[in-house]
Amino acid sequence: MQADLRGLFKSRITYGWLLAAVFVQVVRTLGSSGSGMTSSVVSSGLSDFVYIWSLVIIGLAASSVSSEAGELADSIMSKSVTRLDYVLAKFTSRIAYTLISFSVVTAVLVGLALRLDVSDYNTLGLASAIFVIALTLVMLTALGVALSIAMPNTVMSIVVLLVLWYSMTFFFPVVGLNILSPGSLLGKLPDIIKGAWSLGDWETVAGFIAVSGAATALSSAYFYMKDI
Amino acid sequence: MGRVIEMDNLTKIFGEKLIAVNNVNFEVEEGAIFGFLGPNGAGKTTTIRLLLGLIRPTAGEVRVFGEKMTPGSSNLRRRIGYLPTNPRFPPTMTPIRYLDFVGKLFRIGREERMKRLATLIRSVGLLGDSSREIAGFSTGMVTRLGFAAALMNDPELLILDEPTSGLDPAGRKSTLDLIAELGKQKTIFVSSHILSDIDRVCTDVGVIGEGKGIFSGSIKDMKKIIRSRVIRLELEGNLAKFCEALKAAQWVVGFETRGDFEVDITFGPAISMVEAVREVTNLVSRLGLDLISVSSSTSSVEDAFMALLRDEESRGFLRAA
Repeated sequence: MQADLRGLFKSRITYGWLLAAVFVQVVRTLGSSGSGMTSSVVSSGLSDFVYIWSLVIIGLAASSVSSEAGELADSIMSKSVTRLDYVLAKFTSRIAYTLISFSVVTAVLVGLALRLDVSDYNTLGLASAIFVIALTLVMLTALGVALSIAMPNTVMSIVVLLVLWYSMTFFFPVVGLNILSPGSLLGKLPDIIKGAWSLGDWETVAGFIAVSGAATALSSAYFYMKDI
Repeated sequence: MGRVIEMDNLTKIFGEKLIAVNNVNFEVEEGAIFGFLGPNGAGKTTTIRLLLGLIRPTAGEVRVFGEKMTPGSSNLRRRIGYLPTNPRFPPTMTPIRYLDFVGKLFRIGREERMKRLATLIRSVGLLGDSSREIAGFSTGMVTRLGFAAALMNDPELLILDEPTSGLDPAGRKSTLDLIAELGKQKTIFVSSHILSDIDRVCTDVGVIGEGKGIFSGSIKDMKKIIRSRVIRLELEGNLAKFCEALKAAQWVVGFETRGDFEVDITFGPAISMVEAVREVTNLVSRLGLDLISVSSSTSSVEDAFMALLRDEESRGFLRAA
């Protein structure tokens, strides 16, 4: 896990992503400094993670295992490493990476947004909004790593995850699957930031946790059984 | 001395289409340098992956240090060092970082890890390149790093998959010397299709062809299989004149030229090997030819190996018997 995290945070993709994301948040909040409300600025900034920055997470998560296919058996699994150790390390390192990067950008966003003239937020609501978006990204990362284990190559796992993610975001609300849709959650973000929390939001949280857990468990079981 | 590796009716079928390993039964004694011989595509690497628990057998089992090897046998792999064919390592790591990483995978304490990696880097001649990224390494350097990684956990069993692959003659020699030296302290399982390498360093040999185990035993036993009455000569001079003289020699059963300078002479049962050698050297001397080398083809592992493969092919349905 340490080696994986070190490699991720040393990569140019990470620096580029973090710089771009922080820049966008700064521009957004500075642009809203005259009349913007905290809830709308923060919800827009958090929405970027679902619509835009998710692409980076998809790329890194969906390549986590499949990109090492050539080295996996020779360099790692032939040592005294159990399959469960390896899989859990991958999930942990990618989720940690996602959450650390999210935290850095969100800290800038929230820090600047709290200085806006119209502070229409509730502290607990703000924390809840950040929590549910973080959970959304954890779900995305878990799905990415799971597909990276299940798919024969990186390109396939990225394509499948892209289709799955944007279907969940845009298509699921249309067919009534709101509890599994990040898109329906984003629509409620301003209200959540203001302190409104409903039963449906709990159902969404439970759905995301269930999907993350199922993806982790099923892919770990598959990795244990497959030939390397 | 116990058995370090035992394969019982080991079989691996991929996707119900390819029988990569077919009912193989080999044993490797402690302290042996076991050569695992077979042509390309014979199933050597698949067998090694079964040995390491990277893949599951379709039938049969493999035991290492007396315990059944499975994907979960990390305790057994702690006692094994593995050098794959054309090893691939994380390209952005340096040897120091990679060996440190390997040491952590084996849960070796920091102080011991640092001591070992320093010793190993020096031993394999990578001291000057220890801070360079692996991406820029030559084939020989990668192999040497692979050896260092395989020895990081001070294993009792070393599994080497085609360790001389892609090396120049100097690299091959130093690799084989290293294997011979390590064989004094460890059990070594080395796979190769280069017969002279196996002949040079191995004490025992197992031959596999088309996934099937064909032979297992000592090198000497393998050569005895084709104990034939053949002398191989390398000559300089008028080979045609020499062959004419052989046709007239009563002790000669047959002969075959190999290129412009070599001839294999098969002699009859009436004379011994010593007498045959004496006759042939007298003939060479009488004809004024220059004898460059003389050998018995029973000393050739290549001939023994090819004879085993031919014999296996020709058995056909008898194989099931």
